[in-house]
Amino acid sequence: MLGIVLDVLKANAGSYQWLGGLPAADARRKIGSLLETPNFYHYMSAWHNLEIAAAIKGHGMGDRQAVLQKVGLWERKDSKFSSYSLGMKQRLAIASALLGNPDVLVFDEPTNGLDPAGIAEIRDLIIQLNREGKTIIMASHLLDEVEKVCTHVAILKKGQLLLNGKVDEVLISEDQVEISAGNLQHLETIIRQMPGVISIKHVNGALQLNCGNITTVEINEYCISKGITLSHLILKKKSLETKFMELTNK
Amino acid sequence: MNKLLAIEWMKVKRYRTFWIMTGMFALLLPMWNYGIASGVLQLFGKTGIDVISKAYAFSNVWNNLGFWTSIFVVFISILTIIITTNEYVFRTNRQNVIDGYSREQYYHAKWLMVLAFTIFTTVYVFILGLIFGATNDSFSNFPGKIENLFYVFVLSLNYYSFGLLLGILFKRSGIAIGIFFLYNMIIESLLKSLLNWKLNTVGNYLPLQASDELLPFPVLELVKSLAQMEKAPPAYGYIIASFAWIIIYYIIGRMRLLKSDW
Repeated sequence: MLGIVLDVLKANAGSYQWLGGLPAADARRKIGSLLETPNFYHYMSAWHNLEIAAAIKGHGMGDRQAVLQKVGLWERKDSKFSSYSLGMKQRLAIASALLGNPDVLVFDEPTNGLDPAGIAEIRDLIIQLNREGKTIIMASHLLDEVEKVCTHVAILKKGQLLLNGKVDEVLISEDQVEISAGNLQHLETIIRQMPGVISIKHVNGALQLNCGNITTVEINEYCISKGITLSHLILKKKSLETKFMELTNK
Repeated sequence: MNKLLAIEWMKVKRYRTFWIMTGMFALLLPMWNYGIASGVLQLFGKTGIDVISKAYAFSNVWNNLGFWTSIFVVFISILTIIITTNEYVFRTNRQNVIDGYSREQYYHAKWLMVLAFTIFTTVYVFILGLIFGATNDSFSNFPGKIENLFYVFVLSLNYYSFGLLLGILFKRSGIAIGIFFLYNMIIESLLKSLLNWKLNTVGNYLPLQASDELLPFPVLELVKSLAQMEKAPPAYGYIIASFAWIIIYYIIGRMRLLKSDW
């Protein structure tokens, strides 16, 4: 999808618009992008590779030092691209995207192939850029990453938009509560009436509740007020992966 | 346009292969011709010297140099292929577009590079012609058969843009260079013979051959004209054919680049 809006892939159908309908190539000059892999001339240094990128963007050569310092590559600016580690290549790609101080950044799998330290570094950088007021469009299959860095999310499957919205609403990790009591049937009829309970399932001799924003304390108090003593009360976090699978398998 | 060319120059000026290939062309072409002109390089036995060394006086210096240029342009054709396929290997073709080139600009930048190589070749042959001519002849006979310099231009443009097209179509330098040689040395000769055998001179109008016909082997020409053998078809036919092929390369490459995924 990101490939299509950056004109390296051709769409079968549909259309897109950047920045209020600027001609696509002009718009791309105002967007910083990192698509899948860092693409640079292997025989040239970071410094000279950025010279070419800056020339194509047409924003002048002035900020090459600033972007290299931002991603921590300034000391290695004269080394050939082919001598860089994968993490450094990725950081150079981000530096290149930052040339010309664009307001919109497009990152496709920005932490691909990085070690844990590199991943954390890139995530911090993205969060920092966002604080500076930049809009960042990021594609990722790492839900954990999305949860950590994004504010809004859209889930696509085979070109169809499944859902979109704020991360804490869409990817909210719905809590599940397991409860059990001496008389399970009585418990079920009582708990079904409790406001906030969405669904009830029988699991291993207990009831599994999907509930909105009610706490275990509230469940416990409710049951006691109805004269039931719970023998079992566990809060289970639903993993994001489970949530994602549910969404995409609908 | 200047901007596109300036960016292409940034890409090649730090590329060692670029300097090696243009250097080979720039050194070997005059050395080879000097070898022949001075009689050191005896391609045709001792008797051949007289005929050939005279060919470096004005008038004939252009078709002589032109013929050998038509061999040595292979260096720059290969360079064109390598530079084009490098973009695919490094995936910088994508990056250029992501950074703000339109696909058309990307394509035209490559064509401008081909044109720049062509102009370089032509100017370089012109300078060599002046030097060889001046050392073997007086300037009063200048320029002589200078139309051959234009043929050098047409031939270089044909070869280099053919290389560009192969680079775009095959994306890998090994394959593209292999096909370039296979076509240039074997397939075209075969097709030419077959076509000429059945259809008179149609085979002479094949893509690269059309330009090769503009700069034939000088000695052979000499013999032919002396013996008043077949009358050569007029040059403008080959010029038109060459440009027609160049336009066809442009159209095929353009369709490929504008419509496919990168």
